[in-house]
Amino acid sequence: MSPLGLLVVGAPHDASAEVEALLASLPPSLPVPVVLVVHRGAHELLAGSLARRCPLPVLEPDDKEELVAGRVYLAPSGYHLLVDRGCLCLSREPSEHGQRPAVDPLLESAADAYGPAAAALLFSGHEDGWAGLAMLSSRGGRVAVIGEGEPVEGVERVPLKDVKGWLARLSYVPRMKVQP
Amino acid sequence: MSHVTRSAELETLEVELLLEGVRRQYGFDLRNHSRPLLLRRLRRHLREERLDTFSALQGRVLHDPEAMEGLLRALACPPDTLFADPAFFQDFRARVVPMLRTYPSIRVWHAGCFSGEDTYALAILLMEEGLWGRCRLYASDASEGLLADARNGVLRLPGEEDARNYREAGGRRALTDYYTRDGDWAVLHPSLREGIFFTQHNLATDASFNEFQVVLCRDTLLSYNRSLASRAHERLYESLVRFGFLCLGRKESVARTPYAAAYEELEGTGRVYRRTA
Repeated sequence: MSPLGLLVVGAPHDASAEVEALLASLPPSLPVPVVLVVHRGAHELLAGSLARRCPLPVLEPDDKEELVAGRVYLAPSGYHLLVDRGCLCLSREPSEHGQRPAVDPLLESAADAYGPAAAALLFSGHEDGWAGLAMLSSRGGRVAVIGEGEPVEGVERVPLKDVKGWLARLSYVPRMKVQP
Repeated sequence: MSHVTRSAELETLEVELLLEGVRRQYGFDLRNHSRPLLLRRLRRHLREERLDTFSALQGRVLHDPEAMEGLLRALACPPDTLFADPAFFQDFRARVVPMLRTYPSIRVWHAGCFSGEDTYALAILLMEEGLWGRCRLYASDASEGLLADARNGVLRLPGEEDARNYREAGGRRALTDYYTRDGDWAVLHPSLREGIFFTQHNLATDASFNEFQVVLCRDTLLSYNRSLASRAHERLYESLVRFGFLCLGRKESVARTPYAAAYEELEGTGRVYRRTA
């Protein structure tokens, strides 16, 4: 199993409260960066509420910002958020599934840039994110879906309360050696 | 090696070959473009062209200059509408325009104008502020196809949201004053079109062509990777007079460029910088 270099999280707007709970449960010494897309409107402030209980700093990155382990990067409104090796890129491509930011673009870029070194969590409840999840999974990334719904072949379902354990089972790389 | 890894590696190889071919045949170097964005745009273009592989796209693009224009067009992500980012135009009106009023003549460069949405929005703003008479507005793009669209001045018919954005941007009249409706399209008023100098210019390769009091380059550099964006910033810097204004996109910054120290951000604006050194 490749050591983990990146955790990506996608969520529909309705799951904001669960995302807040997930962020609150992250270990303060998480050795990888977290990149997060939550569906949002143009004028919605989100970083503040998500940061409230999170032990890690939550920020809305500028284009081409470097990825630093132990930080949570939230997609700003009106842009898709993509990852390259070691840095973030923003994009003004059209909305996908009616959303910008959308989850699929992020997952697709994580599959390309990190492949098996990426892990992804998707909150269910929206059609956006499934295609990206399948692509990341096919490239060897570890993926799971949080929330209720029909079981989907090949995709693990994890209740929110068990996410901590799911994360702990991923093999982290030591700090300062973020892959790739 | 699994089948999936092999196909991913093959795709990478095909993309490399396509980019190399495009560079050698047309002089457009896409290798320093933002890779994740480029891959997504290329994949989308492949689907829209109903082709199976990048090798097939390469064949088409190398033999047909129009297919190359189509590719460049597919890579661009133009703003959705006029005044798509009203907060910027509002800030520009409130903070930059008062200083421009003190200049006898103003040269403005919109670098990376796509199909002209922001260019025309800026022209409308300058008109309303009474600066149009002493302004020369240049708009450039690397793609001749997009530039031709921009020159035509025909946009998708603005709807209610556009009218709201226009008002939020500080618009003083009605957006409908600036165009004639033609079915689902809006033909912009000739006085706007004729006052703009559209010119082909590639920020990645071409030198600075004049000195300007204002340079707009909003969300254009998102498509470049870090090293190419830094080089493009050199062009922008060279093209600005001292105390000139550089307007970037809402999530772009000079911070990670070699010119960070040469600019001051206008406080309370969405990324309007003033060249101070």
